[in-house]
Amino acid sequence: MAEITLNGKELETAPGATVLEAARAAGVDIPTLCYHEALGPYGACRLCIVEASGPVLKPSLITSCNAKAADGMAINTESPLVVKTRKILFELLIARSPRTKPLLEMAARFGVEGTRFKAAQGEPDNCLRCGICVRACTGKIGASAIVFARRGQGRHVTAEFEKSSSLCIGCGSCANLCPTGAIRMLDEGGRRRIFVNERVISDLPLVECRNCGRLFVTPKQADYVNAKTSGQGRPSPGDLCPECLRVSKASALSGLPPD
Amino acid sequence: MNEKVIISVCVGTGGMAAGALDVIKAFETELAGRGVEAEFKKRCEVHKVGCRGFCAKDVLVDVTAAGKTRTYQNISAGMAPRIVDEHILQGNPVMEWAVGPEYATFHGKQHKLVLAECGIIDPEEIGSYMEHGGYKAAAKALLKLHPEEIINEIKKSGLRGRGGAGFPTGMKWEFCRKAPGTRKCVICNADEGDPGAFMDRSVVEGNPHSVIEGMLIGAFAIGANEGYVYIRAEYPLAVERLKRAIGQARESGWLGKDIQGSGCDFDIRIGLGAGAFVCGEETALIASLEGQIGEPRPKPPFPANKGLWGMPTNINNVETWATVPKIINNGAPWFSGIGSEKSKGTKIFSLVGKIKNTGLVEVPMGMPLKEIIYDIGGGVPDGKKLKAVQTGGPSGGCITADYIETPVDYESLGALGSIMGSGGMVVMDEDTCMVDVARFFLSFCMDESCGQCTPCREGTKEMVRLLEEITRGEGTPEHITMLEEICAAMKEASLCGLGKTASNPVLSTLKYFRHEYDAHIFEKKCPAAACRALINFRIDENRCKGCGMCLRNCPQGAITGQKKKPHTVDPDKCIKCGACLDSCKFGAVSKA
Ligand SMILES: Cc1cc2nc3c(=O)[nH]c(=O)nc-3n(C[C@H](O)[C@H](O)[C@H](O)COP(=O)(O)O)c2cc1C
Ligand code: SF4
Ligand code: FES
Repeated sequence: MAEITLNGKELETAPGATVLEAARAAGVDIPTLCYHEALGPYGACRLCIVEASGPVLKPSLITSCNAKAADGMAINTESPLVVKTRKILFELLIARSPRTKPLLEMAARFGVEGTRFKAAQGEPDNCLRCGICVRACTGKIGASAIVFARRGQGRHVTAEFEKSSSLCIGCGSCANLCPTGAIRMLDEGGRRRIFVNERVISDLPLVECRNCGRLFVTPKQADYVNAKTSGQGRPSPGDLCPECLRVSKASALSGLPPD
Repeated sequence: MNEKVIISVCVGTGGMAAGALDVIKAFETELAGRGVEAEFKKRCEVHKVGCRGFCAKDVLVDVTAAGKTRTYQNISAGMAPRIVDEHILQGNPVMEWAVGPEYATFHGKQHKLVLAECGIIDPEEIGSYMEHGGYKAAAKALLKLHPEEIINEIKKSGLRGRGGAGFPTGMKWEFCRKAPGTRKCVICNADEGDPGAFMDRSVVEGNPHSVIEGMLIGAFAIGANEGYVYIRAEYPLAVERLKRAIGQARESGWLGKDIQGSGCDFDIRIGLGAGAFVCGEETALIASLEGQIGEPRPKPPFPANKGLWGMPTNINNVETWATVPKIINNGAPWFSGIGSEKSKGTKIFSLVGKIKNTGLVEVPMGMPLKEIIYDIGGGVPDGKKLKAVQTGGPSGGCITADYIETPVDYESLGALGSIMGSGGMVVMDEDTCMVDVARFFLSFCMDESCGQCTPCREGTKEMVRLLEEITRGEGTPEHITMLEEICAAMKEASLCGLGKTASNPVLSTLKYFRHEYDAHIFEKKCPAAACRALINFRIDENRCKGCGMCLRNCPQGAITGQKKKPHTVDPDKCIKCGACLDSCKFGAVSKA
């Protein structure tokens, strides 16, 4: 627990809370791009900056996502320095991805409309390099199918050797978590494909549900789930899709036929 | 007489590139072939020595005979016979090949402490290092001193990190010593990514044992048993010498288990860097050593608490480590007696750019910039005027000629908006456009940014674009506003030191050379006549003799004129390559 001052109001934070968590708990809006509850802080987008000062800290900008709230900290989430710096960060991101809706909406929420910098031309790039997909795939799923490649301007999300991944299990976590829709998952023609912008990074076959015939899982994902759950009632190739599984389980419990 | 004849040949990278190995072979063949030793009853030895800084004149060869040493410059293999003949056998040094007076002025004002043995000892032989007092400090530290006494001595000496930020070394060691954990490690940062810098390379090439000894002392003081040297793979000679030195130190019991019976275990391993500038940043370096992508991560946790594989880790620069044995040998008061109020000891600089004596120099902290540039460096060549000195590498700043009296130490450079950095010093003359300089350093940072965080990845790109537009004459006052705003945001919000400091070249040129920016923007002129888009070549009709030289040299056929009549340049065809200017013998062509 820490006693801090947030935008002039004194409050007590939950034990071990970061500045971001404390602010959100108090209903104060701070923009974040690379932070995700399930993945923890990453510290890359820098949008979550706040001005902090404290007993040992002279007033300076810190990223709230990875800074622990400490006793006596005074936090200002809307100081002139924060507002000015955050505006530049939004403008720079908008220059890279001028038509990315969630970004434009978030910027507008914090008073930034458009950019003075040169908007990128050509193919739209919705990827803001937040790394949520990469961290989910590596840290949570353990597949390490997608990674960041190259550095600086060339940094981009891709699979090994810029080809469609051999490690991807087709779980779609990346697409589900992507805040901008830069990663998409498409089930079509018996296959599941995953795209970063318009480039395919994974292309895997789907298997049918034994009951309804719906294509619902890739064999690799089914194996993965089975391995994680020791095969307890979870899909395996040629098994039931989640919907049929639910129905069949319910009918077994109630003793009524599935239909 | 049993006094030796010693021929010392510089085998630093500069010397090697100039053919040092051939020179050595030539001397050896020459000496053996003529039976000089037998004839003279004197021992004749050819020694390999490290860089002594005056790289422009390599291969440098010292010949010590009859108790006197003479240095020869620009020596090639073919010159060996005459030196052996005249100097060694007849006692008449070959004066026309000897170094000139600038060699003495170059060394005169230097204070060689870290480099003291570079150029004197054979970097490939531990024995040579020992003869010059090597491992004495380690013996004293391990056998006579308590770890805390060592840390106190380093603290009292005032030694600060030479890798960039200038953090007090003793304090850093103490953090790591006090950090909980039984497995700890020390790292030597030999990544040296600044363009034009070669201080660390020269130390490792010229005296690798001094780095090992420093690390050993530090490891003992901190309580670390593991050491790593992270060195860039582009330094093959340094890597080889270091490997050899580590091997010899193990054989002689200065690395390994129970070192010299002290009970201290310590060994060093080498990790190779692949030449990414950002991998010099300590957290990126650690990631790279761990086999991960070399990207910085947020601090805290600091390496002193959680570094390599989670161990408390102390990381110092090559020069910092190499200074340690000197302090232990001579004592903190001796060390803190050198230098200025808050910056103690000496610093090595690589002096490059528009300067007569390009090379490696070591000076006491606080020496006025003027003395480094003029007394040691010999000033700006070709009668040109000094315009600015850029210190601190790509994240440093420019100091104008007006501030030439500034003492070179951490505080004074910082006050001028520059930094000491790791010791790069680039001298610029009147032909240098400061907007273009800012653009150059920024595009370096853009290329080297890891791309993780928004301000650095996007900010450098946008700034390079803005600066390019200004140098093309497409700038507006709004460009300056945008530059200033991006600079501020990058400084405030970047994740690591690269992004935090990348704007320094822009900020310092904006501060001291605003008029040059304004000239590009409002008058569409480049005062230094360096930005191609803004210059025009003109032929002075009074001076032009109509010789036709320029006409023949112009690759575009942009020059017309009849023989013996003044010629003219067609600005529409001209690509501003400057061939006419270079070829005119009468000084009739000018650019403006
Ligand atoms: C982008 C960047 C590059 C760096 N490169 C180097 C380097 O090449 N060599 C070095 O010793 N320190 C470098 N540093 C500084 C290190 O992070 C670290 O501060 C230093 O190695 C600590 O050693 P010291 O205390 O002896 O100076 C760099 C820092 C940054 C931000
Ligand atoms: S400041 Fe630049 S180099 Fe450092 S983490 Fe950010 S993008 Fe990478
Ligand atoms: S949310 Fe904190 S840096 Fe991205």
